[in-house]
Amino acid sequence: MDTVSAGFEDKDRFDRQRRIQWMDMNRIMSSKILVAGAGALGNEAVKDLVLSGFRSITIVDMDDIVTSNLSRCVFFRDSDVKRGMKAEIVAERASSLAPDVDITPIVGRIQDTDVSGFDVILGCLDNIAARLDLNAAACYHGTPYVDGATDGMRGKVQVVLPGTACLQCTANRTHVRTMDMRHTCTGNSMYVPHVASDVTTTAVVAAMQVREAMKIASGRSDLCISNVSYYDGTICDMFTAEADIDPLCPNHYGEESR
Amino acid sequence: MTIRLTIKNLANGTTLRMEAEPDETINDIIGSAGEYWNLDAGAYVLKKGKKLLSGRTRVSDSGLLNDDILEMIPDPEGGCRWGSLRRY
Repeated sequence: MDTVSAGFEDKDRFDRQRRIQWMDMNRIMSSKILVAGAGALGNEAVKDLVLSGFRSITIVDMDDIVTSNLSRCVFFRDSDVKRGMKAEIVAERASSLAPDVDITPIVGRIQDTDVSGFDVILGCLDNIAARLDLNAAACYHGTPYVDGATDGMRGKVQVVLPGTACLQCTANRTHVRTMDMRHTCTGNSMYVPHVASDVTTTAVVAAMQVREAMKIASGRSDLCISNVSYYDGTICDMFTAEADIDPLCPNHYGEESR
Repeated sequence: MTIRLTIKNLANGTTLRMEAEPDETINDIIGSAGEYWNLDAGAYVLKKGKKLLSGRTRVSDSGLLNDDILEMIPDPEGGCRWGSLRRY
């Protein structure tokens, strides 16, 4: 017969999550997560990751904080504007959510970062070029990649698992044209979107990204989005679209679609 | 043989009838629809039913049939910084 202490159910921070059958908290807590981007999506994603039980998080971003970030970024304060680097501030403030979390900030470009050795990579980026670069690196290392993107009230989440269509597979001429028009959002831009993002959209998209990461970490990739989920916040509609591996995609040479 | 398609713009709910030749590609259809609707710069994808259509697939290889309804979806990219807006 088991013996329990009165009130034992309130002594485990993750008691409620453990009640979700497919969720494997031990695997989640031992997973290594890379978050690329510490802006609107990155803030929300790191918050959700820490609260969900992930304990080893690396966050990469090259930017400092500007005033317009404050409306969407839960970890940024007025005093951080022009004084703090996004990755470092997110790491510092998110660490206060849980004493045992290990968050490593990297101030730099994701393209210059070693992305090997992670169990899941979350893309919280703001441009197609960086996204495709990270997607290719994730494919090369065989690491599951969960990409998030927003534009005003719209968002999407694409899950790239080994053997499934990647971002390169689903890109077309309009993506190339957009890349050509916009090298980066922080310098030498010829084009920037009309709308940045709204915290209600980033919250939804980042939450979906983290939920997919939880499935992957729990060994339940079979539950993941297959392959892209689109969200339209203006009418609160969401739908999923399937994609095939592009036989000419360099990230999938010789593979067939799942 | 030319096929007639209906393109639905999920950004605003409008529809467009389009004729496509067998040697044209999904990229061509997206481009023409974007021109017709004068869409903002940015990425778009085309979907038939639950399936995203690959940009470089030719109409003749796409499995598209007369009177198929395709949906054109804005493909979000991400935010921007005030600094880049000023430069713009």
